[in-house]
Amino acid sequence: MSDEPVMLFRDVVKDYPLPAGDVRALDGVSFEVKRGEFISVMGPSGSGKSTLLNLMGCLDIPTSGDIYISGTRIGDMSDTDLTSLRRDRIGFIFQYFNLFPLLNIIENVTFPMMLKSGRGVDPERGREVLRAVQLDDKLFTHTPTELSGGQQQRVAIARALINNPDILLCDEPTGNLDSKTGAGIMELMTDLNRRGTTIIMVTHDPHIAEYSRRTIQIADGRIVS
Amino acid sequence: MIFWEIAKLNIRIHLLRSFLAMLGIVIGVVAISSMGILGNSMVLSVSDSLRTVGDSVIVTPHSGSGGHFGGGGSSTSLVITEQDYQQIKRVSAPNTAIPVLQTSDRMKLGVGGEDIFAIVYGLDPDDVPPLLELEAGDYSRGDSGCLVGSTFAKDNDVKVGSRIAMGTDGSKGTLRVTGIIKERGMAFDLSTDSAIVVTKNWFDAAYNRNDYDKVVVKVKNLDEIPAVKTAIEKQMNRRDEVVDVMDTRKVMESIFEAFGQITTFVSAIGGISMIVAGVSILNIMMMSVTERIKEIGIMRSIGAQRREVMSMFLYEALILGVVGSIIGGLLSLLGGYAISTLMLQTTKYLFVPSSLIHIVYGMTFGIVICLICGIYPAWRAANLNPIDALRHE
Repeated sequence: MSDEPVMLFRDVVKDYPLPAGDVRALDGVSFEVKRGEFISVMGPSGSGKSTLLNLMGCLDIPTSGDIYISGTRIGDMSDTDLTSLRRDRIGFIFQYFNLFPLLNIIENVTFPMMLKSGRGVDPERGREVLRAVQLDDKLFTHTPTELSGGQQQRVAIARALINNPDILLCDEPTGNLDSKTGAGIMELMTDLNRRGTTIIMVTHDPHIAEYSRRTIQIADGRIVS
Repeated sequence: MIFWEIAKLNIRIHLLRSFLAMLGIVIGVVAISSMGILGNSMVLSVSDSLRTVGDSVIVTPHSGSGGHFGGGGSSTSLVITEQDYQQIKRVSAPNTAIPVLQTSDRMKLGVGGEDIFAIVYGLDPDDVPPLLELEAGDYSRGDSGCLVGSTFAKDNDVKVGSRIAMGTDGSKGTLRVTGIIKERGMAFDLSTDSAIVVTKNWFDAAYNRNDYDKVVVKVKNLDEIPAVKTAIEKQMNRRDEVVDVMDTRKVMESIFEAFGQITTFVSAIGGISMIVAGVSILNIMMMSVTERIKEIGIMRSIGAQRREVMSMFLYEALILGVVGSIIGGLLSLLGGYAISTLMLQTTKYLFVPSSLIHIVYGMTFGIVICLICGIYPAWRAANLNPIDALRHE
């Protein structure tokens, strides 16, 4: 395994231009994430967590500074290259699951695979990943609306894992679940991390953050600890 | 492929909305295709009616100043003299120049029958067979016989052997119908459908006329029509404008051109309905994009390229266009059938390539309009900022 960080932020600044003047959301943020880490990003509302998540997920580019994902600098990348990087290297898990209501569970899970291959894919790989996140086989042909919140989040995790990403980015993954279901999801994520998956999780819940092995505290656009 | 599947699913889920959008395209395709079919059928129908006179050059007295005043008929009119006719005949040779006498007169059918008014043509009996086909009876041999047009025969219940008393109260004698002329439709030389044809000798005696109303030159080789026309004009109008010379083929071309323009015009009106349908597609696609902003955000965040998102919406527009156009094309056949039956009383002009091509035009236009109207919504969807799209509720 290479020692190269799977993600590296160096003096990253992000400004949002507004009519009243630029607003600085991130101010000189530097950190690195090693392969196999499980990191929580915590901070109060407006601290820059979402901006940080967008930059980590290659959904946005910094105003200044450098970001490297698996050794690739993203600052000068085209939209097409950023999209390909998201598809191949990053798995997203959202608070509200964000599954496609028109597609069944297998189709939802294999969707990123189809994006990557550009053609139809073997659904068996989807079944494999769904079993790995402990979803019952009987649910595979259902649509997301027929599943509970916890089941939907397991499907979302399976979708995020299907292309074997370098990093799993989670935005409040238990924020829309009751505490028992949330604990189940966190145990699943801990298990995935134990098996080598790098996880970065944004949360405001200290109990959830306890599942991670390192916490980055952010306030006013700066890392404070 | 997944985007194609999602496009199909989305149409299926919003079936009513998709159907209403498609309905506009169906109406547009039917309007364009039916109008095109009708226009083409009319051209073919007129073409069929005029085909028999497409080989003629018609010489009439010049309608402006000049020409010869004469004739001993009921009115003073411009005429072609025997001398003029001989000159026309000479320059037209070896083509046949047929002199035609023409007037209108009262006549009565049977005892106690009502007076009717009809056109009377006077022709040399030898000139009749090459000019007129019969559907019943024989050509007149003697001066007491006549031919009648098919519409005349039908309207007045005239059969071969019927007798017609010519002039007021039969003052010009009685003629026996020897034959019924086959329907000719609209014609530039002789419109015989509602007329009667008598011998030149009888016409001369009855109406005291020696001069002609027109000369019909039947041209054997159609390529010679312009040369014959020019030769007659050169000979007859060298000093004054004595005659007008009409090339029926040219007239037919002008008529077809006019019909073509009418067809284009009515099809353009159909095209307006297609544009309205296109606006409806645009509107529905914009609604679809707005409703699915979040979905687009998710797709983009997990790795869908802009072009893939764009293709998904274009597939939707394509499906609406293709399905709407196919339904519209099928209904156009029915529409064309109905219009042809109602307006032309025949459907023989419907199933010919020049008519059916209008369905292809209509369908192609429908699909193209759908795709064009799908481009902006698809472009808008593809260019949404994934962060904003993900936040959208």
